[in-house]
Amino acid sequence: MTRREFMDELNALLSALPDKERLDILADYTEHFLSGMNQGKTEHEIAEGLGSPKLVARELLAGYRIDQAQSTASVGNMTRAIVATISLGFFNLVFVLGPFLGLIGILMGLYAMTAALLVAPVGIFLDYGIPAPSQERLFLLFSSMVSVGLGGMLAIGLLRLTKWLYRQFLRYLQFNVKMIRGK
Amino acid sequence: MNVQFKKGVLELCVLVLTAKQDRYGYELVASISEKFHISEGTVYPLLRRLTQEGFFTTYLAESQEGPPRKYYQLTNRGRQYMNDLILEWRIFNRGVNEIIEEGLGYDKA
Repeated sequence: MTRREFMDELNALLSALPDKERLDILADYTEHFLSGMNQGKTEHEIAEGLGSPKLVARELLAGYRIDQAQSTASVGNMTRAIVATISLGFFNLVFVLGPFLGLIGILMGLYAMTAALLVAPVGIFLDYGIPAPSQERLFLLFSSMVSVGLGGMLAIGLLRLTKWLYRQFLRYLQFNVKMIRGK
Repeated sequence: MNVQFKKGVLELCVLVLTAKQDRYGYELVASISEKFHISEGTVYPLLRRLTQEGFFTTYLAESQEGPPRKYYQLTNRGRQYMNDLILEWRIFNRGVNEIIEEGLGYDKA
């Protein structure tokens, strides 16, 4: 592989990074090539020593994705961080994707329950109409209030739980990357 | 050499190499690969990460032969981290050696 080929491939693989960061990284490798050539090495020897641009890009992207997900919380950023971590090794498919899907499943269940509690009274009224005897009416009103109240509290708690889980999972991803680096 | 061995130790190596004087990338890569075989390209992602974590600062300096070089300077935090790693390494190293010696010793007896 020539210097040009190495740099072009690395450049293409890093296209997801912001220009500033990408150019800074490319400058590091250009400097490495020039220093090596000054020592009398050929481009091929240097490229061979550096190893595959894919491996280099993978390491760089995983680091970058996790930083991103940390500074701006979003589903997209989290997904990209997970994909990058998984790409570090097949091993991770089980240890990252597994817990992640599990957590998503639990969260979705809880959200569904909250929605059901909030909507239940509407359903009851739609089905049965407002009952005539006053005692039943009071009971229905009261249980509706309980249901909506519980649903509301659950909704608030769930939002907090979701945020907390987001942060915890990021920490887990970082830990995971460190593990793979062998620490 | 086992890839898993190397990844953790690489970090310790670049930290120690910069302990006495600032170094540039090629220098670091060359002095490590003199001792054991590494995928040299992965040293740069490592240097980036350590810089982001505040263990290194970098600066550019002119060189006589070619373009300016990016030098890596160990920060106080970096030095502290290096000392922690060295301690961990010594404990780990001693433990593994003891296990090897005891294991092989019993084999012979």
